[in-house]
Amino acid sequence: MNLQTEYLPFLIPVIIIELALMITALIHVVRHDHYKFGNKPIWIIVVVLIQIIGPIVYFVFGRSDEE
Amino acid sequence: MTGYGAFVKKEFMEFYRSHKLLIILAVFLLLGMMNPLTAKITPQLVENFMPEGMIVNLGEPTAFDSWMQFYKNVPQLGLVVLVILFSGMMSQEYSKGTLINMLTKGLARRSVILSKLTVALVMWTAAYVICTGISWAYTAYFWKGEILHDLFSAAVLVWIYGILLLAVGLFGSVLCKNAYGNLLITGGFVGVQFLLNIIPDAIKYNPLALVSRNMELIEGSLKFEELLFPIAVSAGLAIAFVIAACAVFNRKTL
Amino acid sequence: MNALEIRNLQKSFGSHVVLDNLTMTVREGEVFGFIGQNGAGKTTTMKAILGLLQADGGEIEIFGKRVHYGQTATNKMIGYLPDVPAFYSYMRPGEYLKLCGEICGMSQGETKVKSQELLEMVGLTESVKKKIGGFSRGMKQRLGLAQALLAEPRLLICDEPTSALDPAGRKEILDIMRQVKGRTTVVFSTHVLSDVERICDTVAVLHKGKIALSGPLSEIKAKHRADTLQIEFTDPAEILQLQSKLGSSLKAEADGCILNIKTANLKQTEAEVLAILSAQNLMPVRLEITEPTLENLFMEVIK
Repeated sequence: MNLQTEYLPFLIPVIIIELALMITALIHVVRHDHYKFGNKPIWIIVVVLIQIIGPIVYFVFGRSDEE
Repeated sequence: MTGYGAFVKKEFMEFYRSHKLLIILAVFLLLGMMNPLTAKITPQLVENFMPEGMIVNLGEPTAFDSWMQFYKNVPQLGLVVLVILFSGMMSQEYSKGTLINMLTKGLARRSVILSKLTVALVMWTAAYVICTGISWAYTAYFWKGEILHDLFSAAVLVWIYGILLLAVGLFGSVLCKNAYGNLLITGGFVGVQFLLNIIPDAIKYNPLALVSRNMELIEGSLKFEELLFPIAVSAGLAIAFVIAACAVFNRKTL
Repeated sequence: MNALEIRNLQKSFGSHVVLDNLTMTVREGEVFGFIGQNGAGKTTTMKAILGLLQADGGEIEIFGKRVHYGQTATNKMIGYLPDVPAFYSYMRPGEYLKLCGEICGMSQGETKVKSQELLEMVGLTESVKKKIGGFSRGMKQRLGLAQALLAEPRLLICDEPTSALDPAGRKEILDIMRQVKGRTTVVFSTHVLSDVERICDTVAVLHKGKIALSGPLSEIKAKHRADTLQIEFTDPAEILQLQSKLGSSLKAEADGCILNIKTANLKQTEAEVLAILSAQNLMPVRLEITEPTLENLFMEVIK
């Protein structure tokens, strides 16, 4: 569709950024077992399904301070 | 100032290792792209969602619309994210007591404040430049040939306001032991400006102008000289808040 | 010169007087044990020494230099290990020591050499790659000692360095402190009296805001040396019987089925007691001579 090619310059970078955020957050969630609240399955869902905001919430509020 | 350089390095390390660097870049990158995008899409979206029979006469989106989105989204979303990201500047140091060791070794109290401020400013500037740069690039790409004036000056206004908010946040963070009190103070600060705007005379000086009248500048209905007052007020306030932060911190028992 | 001199230190929190005209001296090169009950004011005293706390009155001098609240000039001579050392959990131990070195004004090369030396001494070389966030309490304590000793301070102050450690950890920390004794003056607070007996030269007891007891450990023990005769019976009534026959000059205290008799002349008292036991036909379960411990002295002082 014509519409899509028009928006491609937008879509590609956006997808890359979303993926970067999600993957970084996901790796961190999986590797570390401690969180300020919630548990691993919940955070995996939040980080993967809630685009952009999910990983941000995890890194700012949910991540535990200890390794 | 003892330990300033060392502590700045530590703050950068902390910013990077806590993934805040990743977040701030991602958010402002996305914001930068979102502005031209929403400007372009909005008419089409409105068309699709309007019930049959209603004729909506929205002109083709222009570069002007793109920047209008910018000056709506960046202050509302971008600055909020900025404030939240930096709201805990001091709270962790307080709650965990990590500063005690540093201070007993000879780190000057002033260095603590100024190094945190330095990192916040650098990160804000970098993120904002990226955001503005991207918006500008995409706008130029999609609306080739449209020339708008005073784009640079309008952009600088938001940058200054961001610095002001960071100064307030720094002060609030030093004052309150936790991040929520700090957010209240910053929010209150902005709230007061909204209230002041009701007074006609205050509009001339209100820092809020830096993030609410940008489009008027681009349009040409506002001259840059008229904004010198808000700029001066903002700069003065920012410096005052930083000095106040140092003063409060000097007296804090850790 | 004295490593630490405190004169008439006064501090109250609201109406609660914590330090009341406190005077204390620590000589250079010794290991000084600072003991007191919980809440006696040990940590308060240390914070005042470090300029972290504003005292209401009195003076503190470190190797002759005055301590001022909020200023860190005197801290350059001090290495401080707080009771719960707090680090930046995203850093690795080497990085943290590097930061400390930079703040102290040490050169990068110096910091690197000393860090390696100290990490080895405290036994953290295997954990150099780990972030501090994953450290156990004992590891953090050891890192705390390393950073306290980084700038080769003349005075090392430790606030309850062994309280949260298991016996192995406790021994490790004490051994390290014993190692630096001599070139460094060591002051540490604790309420584990066996630690004090292990490595201290001098001891001071903080009680009700003042020093209730102080001096070289050996001297203190010798002065209060009054051996105790301990007699245990199965029936408390037998204790009463014995007590009634004892001379009034003897200090005898009953504790359930045990009678403690304090005496300066052990042989004489023992003979006397045995004579009474025999005459009254009392058969004790146990008869024992006990020596004074720091614990006994402490309990007496805080009464």
